[in-house]
Amino acid sequence: MPKRLSQVSLSLVAGANRRDVSDVELAHGLADGEAWAIGLAWHRFAPMVLTMAERSLGSRSDAEDLAQDVFLNVFRRAKTLREPEKLRSFVYSFAIFGLKSELRRRKLRGWLSFLTPEALVELSSRSVDVESRDLLRRFYALLDRLSARDRLVFSLRELESMTVEEIAEVMDISVSTVKRSLTHAVTRLSRWIMADADLAEVFDTGRWQR
Amino acid sequence: MTRRDPSTDLRALQTLAKLVRDTVQPPSAAALDRGLNQLMDRATAHRARRPKVVYWSLAAALTLICGLLGLQVTSFLRGRTREQPALAYRVEGGSVLAGGYLRDSGNGGVRLFFNEGTKVELLPGARGRLRVVDKEGTRIVVDQGTASFDVARSKDRRWFVEAGPFAVAVKGTFFTVSWEPSSERFELRLQHGSVVVSGPIAGGDIELRAGQRLVVNLPKAETLISETQAEPVAATSSSAPALPSLDSANTAAAAATANSKDAPDKSSTTIAPASSASGASKVDRKSTWSEYLAHGHWDRILAEVEARGVDATLETASSEELFALADAARYRRRSDLARSALLAQRRRFSGSARSLDATFLLGRVEESRDRARALAWYEEYLERAAAGTYAAEAWGRKMVLTNELKGRAVARPIAEEYLRRFPKGSYARAARALCGEP
Repeated sequence: MPKRLSQVSLSLVAGANRRDVSDVELAHGLADGEAWAIGLAWHRFAPMVLTMAERSLGSRSDAEDLAQDVFLNVFRRAKTLREPEKLRSFVYSFAIFGLKSELRRRKLRGWLSFLTPEALVELSSRSVDVESRDLLRRFYALLDRLSARDRLVFSLRELESMTVEEIAEVMDISVSTVKRSLTHAVTRLSRWIMADADLAEVFDTGRWQR
Repeated sequence: MTRRDPSTDLRALQTLAKLVRDTVQPPSAAALDRGLNQLMDRATAHRARRPKVVYWSLAAALTLICGLLGLQVTSFLRGRTREQPALAYRVEGGSVLAGGYLRDSGNGGVRLFFNEGTKVELLPGARGRLRVVDKEGTRIVVDQGTASFDVARSKDRRWFVEAGPFAVAVKGTFFTVSWEPSSERFELRLQHGSVVVSGPIAGGDIELRAGQRLVVNLPKAETLISETQAEPVAATSSSAPALPSLDSANTAAAAATANSKDAPDKSSTTIAPASSASGASKVDRKSTWSEYLAHGHWDRILAEVEARGVDATLETASSEELFALADAARYRRRSDLARSALLAQRRRFSGSARSLDATFLLGRVEESRDRARALAWYEEYLERAAAGTYAAEAWGRKMVLTNELKGRAVARPIAEEYLRRFPKGSYARAARALCGEP
């Protein structure tokens, strides 16, 4: 018999026999505040949210914080989901909203402190060599210079391989706005890469071959 | 300034994006479980306090925003900023050179004292760099040797320590880190606090608790986790997989690690891929061998080689792939395959830097079979790359092998030369013994 959220242990993990639960059933479970649904929703959708957030923000710990907020909101607002079959999109929209807020918060913080700190990239990879770490650090420093919207559009397109139409839908903006943002981001990033002597050297000399 | 082709910059941008895509890995099962526990904690706490605090929180937030804006405007009008105190440090026993390199001025090591209470000490002989110091955190690289860290707990600052292919994410804690690039051995002793270690460890990140010690020996494919007061418990290719000092999630990961190491046998012609139970092995996209190698998926590389055919691989693989294959074979003690890959590297990419490295590594591979041949490889390496990456190690191994094969009298001039070149090197003690110094 499923338990209510308020009665469950804090170390709840979804049971293996729940793996075949459909998104619709899961959405109903969340709306009813059922304990099994929380663990299952986390295990089903958290990898997607964590990976996307880490790529966009360049920080695993920030991604983990964001995922916590996203899922708290999802659980809290599950009752408002009118089309249970769109649970994945529902989670995605909270993740996008959280990402946009976090990027805006960073921009605001940079503005308030009148200081742009050096990008402190903290990705979960276990494979990155010294040269790659330097490249990533420089790349995220360039991304930090983009506006929150341009950066998010660029991240969803180039890092998450989403289509322009998908981006427009999840960000709730028009396709033409997405295209404009993307062009803007790519143009500026390319220009900045061209102006960064160290990055230019890496690519010009062909030292970086992937 | 030379203007470049815009398409080159676009390609560079695409390459950087690909690097990010390839670098970020899905979270491990243990990390997901930790996240879920944390989420449940927050959900419970939130549920308990929500009705009481919601209106007060809104009011407080509005007041705070107004206050902050007022402060900011005031400071702006005064022409100066009020920001979180900058992180500052002083150096004892050495100095910080361009690029953040820490130089020892004597023999006592270098000590860094940060204004927020953190202390870092590079022990004598250690080399390191300060990569990033800013108000958000600090990143220190230990290139070689041992360093101790007493990190003050801070909510706003993050500390990262890099040692070879390993990265340590730190909160308030006290620990020592050692990395020996020549022997590819990593060690971390944690006195108190907690750290998460990432690196080429099958099974995913390892979270260590106070009193634990982690030793990773890459060439031997060994990961040891022990209580500092107790005998280490090994999770190696040949020993029991039990890791009683880990929590259940990490134990599962370690067990998967051990499982993944059961399959290959030196004489076997078919190699099972790494166990799918491993969290780290859930990378379902196409990965390069270098990535497999860095993730500890040595068996996967070897399995792909068997599938392709060894001879075909040696003839068609790229320089990077051959190097990854040689490393995977070395770590799995498949000396013949490692030797073949390194020889192919020399033959097919004779002018490359990797070809030089292959010469040194051939010496390492040959040492277990034909020490005279190993000595010849080291001599050739030193002849071609006197200041190469492995020069110190090659001089050291040459000295040791010469002493064993040709006697002390022949080895002594080599020891003297070693001491002249690398007075603080890892073979300095052996060299002094050969020279008859105390």
